Amino acid sequence: MKLHLPPRVSPKQFQSAMTAFAGVVGKEWLMDTDADRDAYADTYAPGSTEEWPASAAVAPASVDEVRAIVRLANEHKVPLWPVARGKNLGYGTAAPRMEGTVVMDLGRMNKVLELDHKLAYCVVEPGVGFFDLYDQIQREKAPLWLSVPGNAWGSVLGNALEHGIGYTSYGLHARNLCGIEAVLPDGDLVRTGMGAMAGNPAFHLFPMSYGPTWDLAFSQSNLGIVTRAGVWLQPAPETSLEIVWDIPKVEDIGWVIDTITPLKISGLIDQNVFIPSWLGKMVLKGQRKDFWDKPSAIPDWRVDELLKEHKLGYWQVALRLYGEEPVVKARAEVVKAAMKRNLDAAPQEHWWRQGDPIGQYETTMGVPSAVPLQMSDWIGGRGAHMGFSPVVPATGKHVLDQMALSRKIIADFDVDFYASFTIGGRFANNVNMLMYDRDNADEVAKMRKLFDALIVQTAKAGYAEYRTHLGWMDPVMETFDFNNHALRRFDEKVKSALDPNGIIAPGKQGVWPAAYADKRGSAYKGGN
Amino acid sequence: MPPYMLRPVAPEGDRLKPGRDGKTVFEAQCGYCHLVGGMGTNLLTKQQMMAGNPPAKGLLSNRDDLTADYVKAVVRMGKGAMPQQTKVDLTDAELDAVAAYLGKAG
Repeated sequence: MKLHLPPRVSPKQFQSAMTAFAGVVGKEWLMDTDADRDAYADTYAPGSTEEWPASAAVAPASVDEVRAIVRLANEHKVPLWPVARGKNLGYGTAAPRMEGTVVMDLGRMNKVLELDHKLAYCVVEPGVGFFDLYDQIQREKAPLWLSVPGNAWGSVLGNALEHGIGYTSYGLHARNLCGIEAVLPDGDLVRTGMGAMAGNPAFHLFPMSYGPTWDLAFSQSNLGIVTRAGVWLQPAPETSLEIVWDIPKVEDIGWVIDTITPLKISGLIDQNVFIPSWLGKMVLKGQRKDFWDKPSAIPDWRVDELLKEHKLGYWQVALRLYGEEPVVKARAEVVKAAMKRNLDAAPQEHWWRQGDPIGQYETTMGVPSAVPLQMSDWIGGRGAHMGFSPVVPATGKHVLDQMALSRKIIADFDVDFYASFTIGGRFANNVNMLMYDRDNADEVAKMRKLFDALIVQTAKAGYAEYRTHLGWMDPVMETFDFNNHALRRFDEKVKSALDPNGIIAPGKQGVWPAAYADKRGSAYKGGN
Repeated sequence: MPPYMLRPVAPEGDRLKPGRDGKTVFEAQCGYCHLVGGMGTNLLTKQQMMAGNPPAKGLLSNRDDLTADYVKAVVRMGKGAMPQQTKVDLTDAELDAVAAYLGKAG
């Protein structure tokens, strides 16, 4: 990719910034060739990667190097886009929101700094991936389990800071963060919570600060660069039981939600319950053309045939309980009785006890896997995906209303409907996966229009997304409209006060510093 | 436990210096997907079988038709479902070592 300079930065100014950055990290870790820029492009870009072009990447190895680069970035007015491991697939990968921003790749800061077996937490740097932490736990034989996202190739901290979700009792990943160290936009270094006192051993144990609590202000945020954080982990249970129901019909999701949510809120179920539709299973069985050889959406009659042929329900609930065996058994009886009120078929039950092997695809037991990325192969070609991810109250009525709405919009665009709901408590995250071939320009154009329509019409119905791709960060922020967009006005007041040069991640989540306010709503369109 | 679940520790020393241990670097950095049961192995096994080859050829370490240059190009450019890898994922010195390890066809 050719060089796109940051706004109002001359080639000379940019070059001197690169020289200064290289002076901090060494020239090998300052990456500014065309090939380097390609390496940091959005690998699933819906359209040209040049819409979100990085000018370069810089990879510091320590907090001191991060601080030095931030100070230099201020001096040279060159903005930075921090990424942990840069694997935010479906949301922009490592690419920046604003053209010419320099990616700060924190992948070299990859130490597990602490792994506390007794109090069940770790302290990690941003470059530590789920696989790395899992391996460390196995090597130390620590009695701890992770919570992993569907694709666990990325960073533990990056995923938590982006509000990623997993499928265990610790599945709301941002809630597991406790005690953050962050470099501020002026290069200062802050520690939150009890860590604000030097040497305090409760840094990663008590989740609040004395005074305002800032931890989550660094999530989906451009207020600082998180350089380490505590992450709470699940103690390995004595036993676990997976109970699996195939749920026959699409509209059954209503009673499923109304059955599971009260048990989740009461604490009887402590897991984040993931309910994928049938397509989630099919994408692992082959390619789309093996099951439907036309470009049009798979019609309902063919869906019915496929469900019969492959003995699948429209939905699958694979619920997992954790703990001592008598407790798990008692909980299971309550859950099974509740489900039986609407579904006669007995569920499958899979017990696991300490010492039993754990399968390699057991996401609900915290085993990291990149296998869900096989989804990219479903469409063929350079397969890619984007997730449209609204949050809805966890009642059958809200879920059915939201599903009917997105299903109709997606059908109107003649695209396959692939939804999942994850019950996280009083809410459900609904992910509508849109899969496309990056090299099919018509398909990409259709997906973009579909995404626009989903955002606008879902907002009209009163629901909003919890996370989105770079290209839609501004439109989604626009939907948060209470009191003339008071949240955004507050975010930007804080942002501009802390970061007058707009150095850190301008435009992240639709929050623009005053220095780049004119870039709101813009995405680079190839120089026009 | 399948081997891809517990990858070896990446080799010690300067990641930028030539002479890295290609096998260990491959298993540590590419093993997320390219050891037994990984996403890349699953997809490549399917492709190899469709081409009439034995399923074991789905493991890159069993292939004898890869060249070092091809390995380097795929790593840096990506291919199909595989995203491109940065120099932080795999330095040029590490990629040279991995390409020499996998590139049995020269």
